[in-house]
Formats: sequence, C-alpha cells, structure tokens
Amino acid sequence: MTKTISRRDFLKLGAASVGAFAVGQMLPPMVAKAAKESGLINAAGNGYISTMCEMCVWRCGVIAKIVEGRVVKLDGNPEHPHSRGNLCPRGQSGLMNTYDPDRVLTPLIRVGKRGEGKFRQASWEEALDLVASKMTEIKTKYGAEAMVFSSTHNLSQPLFENLLYAFGSPNYGTQRSLCFNAMIVANTMTYGMEEPARIYDDKLKYILLTGRNLFEAISTSETSDLSRAIDRGAKVVYLDPRYTKTASKATEWLPIKPGNDLAFHLALLNVIIGEKLYNRAFVEKNTIGFDELKKEVSKYTPDWAAPLTGIPAETITRIAHEFADAAPHALAHNGWRTSNFINSFHTQRAITILNALIGNWDVVLTEAGGEESGKLGAPSQPPYPRVSALRLDGVPWKYPVVPFKIGVFQEMRDNIVSGEPYQAHGWFISRQNPVMSLPDREKTLKAFAKLDFIVTVDIILNDTAWFSDVVLPEASYLERYDPLLPFGDKAFLRQPVIEPQGEAKSALWIYKQLGERLGLGDFFQYTDEEDYLRQQLAPLGVSLEEVKTKGYAESPETPHAGESAEKSWNTPSGKIELFSDTLAKVGFSGVPTWEEPPQPAEDQFYLLTGKVAQSTQFGTQNNQLLNKYSDEPRLWINTQVAAKLDLATDDWVEVTSEVGQIHIPVLVTQAIRSDCVFMTPGYGHLSKGLTTAFGIGASDSVLHVTYTDPISGGQALSQTFVTVKKVDDASSAETLKPLYLGE
Amino acid sequence: MAKYGFLIDASRCIDCRACLVACSVENNVPMKSTRIWIKDSGVTGEFPNLERYTAPFHCMHCIDPSCVSACTVGALQKNEDGIITYDNEACIGCRYCMYACPFEVPHFEWSKQFALITKCDLCVSRLAEGQKEPACAATCPTDAIQFGSRGDMLAMAHERIRSQPERYVEHIFGEHENGGTSTFYISPVSFDQLGFPTAETTDSPAHFNRIATEEGTPIIAAGAAIGMTGIYLALEHNGKKQAVRKTEHAEDKHDTAGKE
Repeated sequence: MTKTISRRDFLKLGAASVGAFAVGQMLPPMVAKAAKESGLINAAGNGYISTMCEMCVWRCGVIAKIVEGRVVKLDGNPEHPHSRGNLCPRGQSGLMNTYDPDRVLTPLIRVGKRGEGKFRQASWEEALDLVASKMTEIKTKYGAEAMVFSSTHNLSQPLFENLLYAFGSPNYGTQRSLCFNAMIVANTMTYGMEEPARIYDDKLKYILLTGRNLFEAISTSETSDLSRAIDRGAKVVYLDPRYTKTASKATEWLPIKPGNDLAFHLALLNVIIGEKLYNRAFVEKNTIGFDELKKEVSKYTPDWAAPLTGIPAETITRIAHEFADAAPHALAHNGWRTSNFINSFHTQRAITILNALIGNWDVVLTEAGGEESGKLGAPSQPPYPRVSALRLDGVPWKYPVVPFKIGVFQEMRDNIVSGEPYQAHGWFISRQNPVMSLPDREKTLKAFAKLDFIVTVDIILNDTAWFSDVVLPEASYLERYDPLLPFGDKAFLRQPVIEPQGEAKSALWIYKQLGERLGLGDFFQYTDEEDYLRQQLAPLGVSLEEVKTKGYAESPETPHAGESAEKSWNTPSGKIELFSDTLAKVGFSGVPTWEEPPQPAEDQFYLLTGKVAQSTQFGTQNNQLLNKYSDEPRLWINTQVAAKLDLATDDWVEVTSEVGQIHIPVLVTQAIRSDCVFMTPGYGHLSKGLTTAFGIGASDSVLHVTYTDPISGGQALSQTFVTVKKVDDASSAETLKPLYLGE
Repeated sequence: MAKYGFLIDASRCIDCRACLVACSVENNVPMKSTRIWIKDSGVTGEFPNLERYTAPFHCMHCIDPSCVSACTVGALQKNEDGIITYDNEACIGCRYCMYACPFEVPHFEWSKQFALITKCDLCVSRLAEGQKEPACAATCPTDAIQFGSRGDMLAMAHERIRSQPERYVEHIFGEHENGGTSTFYISPVSFDQLGFPTAETTDSPAHFNRIATEEGTPIIAAGAAIGMTGIYLALEHNGKKQAVRKTEHAEDKHDTAGKE
C-alpha cells in the first residue's frame, strides 16, 4: 500500500536500510550466542530454535529457522498447545517486526516539541540516568503516585509490576478495560476465576458465540477447534451486527441490534428457567441465588426481547431449547467484546450463568491451567512499600469490584486531564500505544500535555513513543528472553533466536537497570536474563540448557480435584454465584438485570470496530508482510443506506462523533446492519516514524467517546454514535493539522 | 515415484491469509509479488440471508502443464513428483507461460527491469529439507489446505463430498480441468461463483497455443503474439527446449475473470 522493501532486498543489504527515525546503523544480526552455545545452531549459523510468538497475546509456540545467523522462517511448534503446528498470518509475519526498517535501535531523547518527531540518539547510560532522575524528581516533589505506569499483557509484566510497586505508585494501567473487563469481572463474580478454559471435544454439539469473531480475531488453537467443530457438524449460532468471516461459517447468523445482547441472553435465561430446562441437580449442588435469579428473569420473555434485539421471539425460544437439549455439550462463549456497552457486565454475567444452569462444568468449561507461576521459582525480594494514595483510575473508590491488576485505563487518562484527586506528572509506558488504543485520542494527547515526563519502551517509534520524551528500544521477541510461561503441565520458554539488533535490550535488563538507578536493586536480584530463568527453573530441577533445546520444561500440574471430589469455588460463598452478594453490597444488582442501552439519533449510526486477521490492535500495521496482505481500511456501510446517501464503494465520507471527525473511503456491503457502520481499528497513525503504516486509513480512537461500564470498568466501545456525510475527493486529503504539544 | 497433491476446501477457508504470508516468507517472494491469491465469491444474497466463500489459489501443478509446453527455454519443468518448478536463471521473461496457463497462475513481475515470472513451486526446497508440507499447508489453522499424495488427496475429496453432500457442490476442481491437475478444490458453491477460471468458459491463450503447438509451429504462433524479441531470445535458448506435450481438453474454454 505504501513504500515497501522486499525481503530479498533487505537480506542483500544486510538490513542496512533504516527507517526515518531509526537512528544508528542497523547491525547485521549475529547468531544468538545462547543458541550457538546450546548447539541449536551450527558454526555456519544454521539451525532451528524453539521459542514463542508475541504477535498477539495467545503465545503460540514457534520454531524459528535460522540461516547464516538470520531468522528466515517461523513455523508453528507442533508440541505447543496454542499453535499445534499452525500459525496465523501475524505469527507468520513475525520476523518482519524484527527486521522492520523502522526499528528504534538506540535510546532516543526528544529534542523538538512533543509530536514533532525530533529525537537525538543517546547511550543507554545517559537515557537510563535521565529516566531515573526524572522519576526521582517527580517522586520527591509530588509523591510516587504522581508517576503512572502502563503496560499491555506480556511475559515481562511481572518485572514491570515489580518496578512500579517497588517505586510505590498505585497507578497502573493495562489494556484490559479497553477489551474484556466485563468478561473477567463477570467470571470472577460468578465462578471466582477470570476465565474458565473451554474444552472443544468431539461431543461438543452447540456453540453460542456472542460476537466472538474467532475466524478474524484469531487465537490459533481455538480457531482450529471451532473450525473442526463446524466440520464435525456442531451447530454454531453467532450474534453480531456484522456479517464477519465467522458469521459466514456459522450455522446461524443473528444480526442482533448493538447493545441488546443482554436482552437476548436474559430471554434465554427466562426460557431455560421458566420451562425448567436447566440441570437441577447441578444447580442445587453447585450454585447459590437461583431463586433471586428466577424472580428477576421471569419478566424477560422472548416477546419482550424480540423488539429490542431484532430477533424473533420464536427464534430466541428455539435457541434456548436447542442449547438446553445439547446440554451438557453446549457452550455459551463469553467472547471478548462485540458490542460493548455500559450494560456489558450484565451480558457477560448472563452468559456465564447460562453455562452454569446447564451444568457444563468439567464437560465444556473447566478451570484454566492458568498462567500463574506458582510452581516456578523467583528471585527473592523485599516486601513492596505501603501505598496510601488513591488510584487515579477510581479502583476501588469509584469502581469497587474491578480487580487492582486490571484497572480502568480510560479513567486514569481522564484523571490525568482533570488533575483529580491529584495531579499526575509522569507516565512510564511499556509495549503499549495508548495514543491509539484509548478512546478519544484528543483527550489522550491533552493528558500527555499535562505531564512533565513521558517515557516509552518499544521496538518501533509507535504513536505514543512519537509523543514521548525518552524512547527506550526493546529487543524484539525473537531477540530476547522473557520470563517462562507456565501452561498446563509445561513451562514454555521465549528465547533469542538472533542477537538483538543495534542497542536494543530485553525488558528484564531494562527494568533491572532502572531499578538499580532508583535505589530499588533489591527487587531485581538476578545478574542477567539467564540467571532469572535459572532461578525460575530451580524448583523443577530442570536445567536451562535442556529447556532451550526443548523449548519448554515439564512442570507437573497440581492434580485436578476431579468430578467426584466436593467442588469448591473461589467465591465468597464457595459456590457458583447466580446471585452475588458482593455486587449487592456495593449497590449493584446481585443478578443480571436489564439496563436500557443508549441509542443513536435518527441520522446517526452505531460505530462498530473489530479485529481483522492481519493485525493485532494498534501495533502491527507497520509490519510490511501484513501490510502486503491487508485490505485497504474502509468504512463499511449497508447497501440500502449507501443508496440513500448516494454512496458507492471508495467514495469518501466525513464521519463525525461527539469528540472527533475523520475522513475515510466507504465499502458498500450487505454485510452490516443498516443502523451500523464499521471500521478496522489501528490505522490513521500519527507517528511518521512508522513509514509503512503512516498515511493509511483513519483512526477509530479519534471518534470513540469515553463511556465506562460502572460495574466492570470496561470501555463501552460500541456506544459511540456517528454521522456520515459524503465529501469530495479533494477534501479527502489529510485534514489533520500537525499535532505538537506544548512549546 | 509418488505424486504430490493438494486438497483445498473452500468450506474451511476463513480468508485469514496465513498461507499468503507463509508463502512470501518461505520463498522470499518480493513485497510486490505473490504466489497465492484469495478467490472470493464476495458477499452474496440479501441481508440477512448472506453467503460468502473464499479459497486460496495457486499453481494447480497440472498433469500436462501448458506452461511447460509453452516454455521455450526449459525454465518451467515438471518433476517426477508432479511439481512444476521454475528456474529463474533459464527464464528469458518471454511470458509465453502466462498466456499458456488456463488458470492465470504465472505472474509477471512488471516492476522489474529484467522481469521474471513468479509462481508456486510447491516449496520444493522446503520439502527437500525434509519438511512434510509446503508452507501454506503447514500453517493453515483450519486445515483448509491439505497436502499429501495426489491419490490420497483426490480420494479425500471424493470422500468428503460423499459423506457431506449437503456441504459441497459435486465438482472436484482440478480432477479434470486442463487434463487433470495435482491441486484439488472442493467448495460449497460453484467454482464460477468463487471466481475460478472454469473449464467451460475460458477463452485461454493456451488453447491457441496448444492448437498451434500440435501443428508444430509453436515459435511462430507465440511469436506472433509476443513479438520479434521473444523469437530472438527463444531461438537463442532453444537448446533447452522441452518436448511439447499433447494436452487433453484443448477445446475447453476458461473464464479469465478471477476476483483477487
């Protein structure tokens, strides 16, 4: 779509080409020393090394093929439960992240205005000293809480958390409130766990997917599982206002009205309870609050739900019957998000309860093997300092049931702008792009303008790094070690398959260096990455060398209690909570209840966003291989509506929400409800340091209005309403004025 | 020697394009070229009764490959295992193969000064290294692309249609097309709807070429279409010229409108 180099070209050039701001010579990557020492690579630099993907958070096992010290191909590791030998397009493209000519290869210190993109190269010594001194200055002047930290789900997160908790800040942002807070909090309130594992065995006959677009938002093994289930003849009912690729494979697609998934699921509960289709023995033995639930859902009949959802009452009744008939081999999939509204917590609760009512526990749902590192060792460290400051994100003082480790990211941003309950002064960001990911981009940049100091750790100059004061270059996932990933009866290793390019360093190294400069060295008691891994492996009695060769360590699971044992749930009552006293005590409904979602005005559309298979969130659009095979980002609009607005495919439109405006070409299609428009997130980058992605598409975060589900803290991503107006080609030129912050 | 074969099932393809990326990486395909495309029926029907099918499409590896017969310099060859390989050292960029192929597979790299052809070679070097499957089949998360012996793939195609007749149209694309190929497709909708070049409708230059070659005047016939430079270069390389094969279904026509 924009300028590209061929792999052949850059292999020839020895990767000497550099991106606009990837200052410094890109050095030819050497053979990973560690791999060579382990004998995984021969003297010529050829071999195969087992490691783990990081193109999304599913973490497939990969086998990297190395030729003359370069990674030339990645294949799925057949032994890894998440890949089983397959990789999705993002996984296949992973080496292009590493060989991106836009890689940041030395620490950068800003010399121009924020957003101007002027940086100078610095040594690690200088950059780390500067970051530590700024952090210390903020702590001394305003308290540790004035420094906020944020990072996205990744394997080095425990060390990142070490840094922020040891520093003494309560302010921690993750991406989860932009994604699946509602699902996690609902499962926690019901089952006492974040997300049960799903079992796709040969008996699974019925799958109800609420917006879980598994064929575009790919989780390799689960995508395979769903495909095989469809092959076997399992029935898949898929709810989505959009005809996605999953919809095209489902047995039945229900184009539900956004925001009303709750009504649909409440009506299913109504039928299943009203007609006594539930598993009475399971419910009596394992749940509490059935009577309260029964009373509440008795009013939510299919006739009541039909006009809200746009799904006929008889269809809802039939699906309730089919679901119960298939029990216990039926799954109501929580999904992550489709139409996230401020009522999404109750939707998720209703879905978790549907599963509980048919008693599919240990048949279709089960306790997740978990990514808890209980069995692994860890370096010793002192206790964290006590923190008394309130969290800026309102947990728990505004959001009493949101777990601390999840938080409400958008609220944290809002309170950096408002300065309430106190003013933040610094933001430490790792592997995250809040400029793009948070709703209301203008507001995020306003928050940046309020801060004295912003530091970003990433491998490329993403949009957030573009507005930062210091950028610390991380080694890519093919160039570094990360802490082990325990999964099932194994602990998997991410190991360098090539040496880091330029001056890039692992997160384990970066956080330790910073910790030491901040006087927190006791929290990072390891000499280097391998020493950290050896301490993790110590209780297993497995050598790191063995793990490097196999790619994993055997780590026997704690024996499962089994079905016969008295099952106890990690909830206050020890049961599956259909009624939650925890919720009731803080003033929320203890059972799922109807909350009317807001609706667009006559001339407005629901703005839907969702994933495509060729990108992950906001971080992979600069990958040239993914760019090569990505669709041009366009705004989907229903054919009949387009005719009324005199729009044909590739006509440009102006899309306006309460907080922003974009210009984008349209795709006229039958594959979307007439009251919705859809756009792919992750385009419309601001950073000119992303030479492949810059200039493509428009940003959904410009349009998204910040609405937070009061219970789960989840951002109501589908609750933004927009108007769409045809514009001339001429006005389709980049309308965005240069965004500089401050002077 | 056992012949290789693919079975590609449009009912399983989710258009994720992992195969396209895998192919690009494995074969070092330049950023502006590709050896695999997605054939797409587009969204059909009236809301909400919609359908959409896709399938990855690459070289069919014909039993009697028109491209090999058209290649005047032996750059395209058929191996014993059924793979049609391409030797870019031998290629003179004459593009006869492009006109010959009824499936529009060989693509010319127009952007290059000394442009050559790019096409699927079944990851021949990957297989030589001992890997079990070409990169596309290995990575496919839904097993839409399967790889094995030609006989097994054809048998599997028949078995799938037999056991789930409601799921597929009764047509194995590649079984008879262009005299039979090593790549078989099965699909819930007609291959015409999927945008395939169908055997009934293509007015393929291969048809012209085959008629011409059967009359023993391949160079003149093709030269008329290409120009004198082609003739010159072809003559220069004609030491490597391959025996012309007789191809069945010479009367078949193919629709050239592939949606890509």
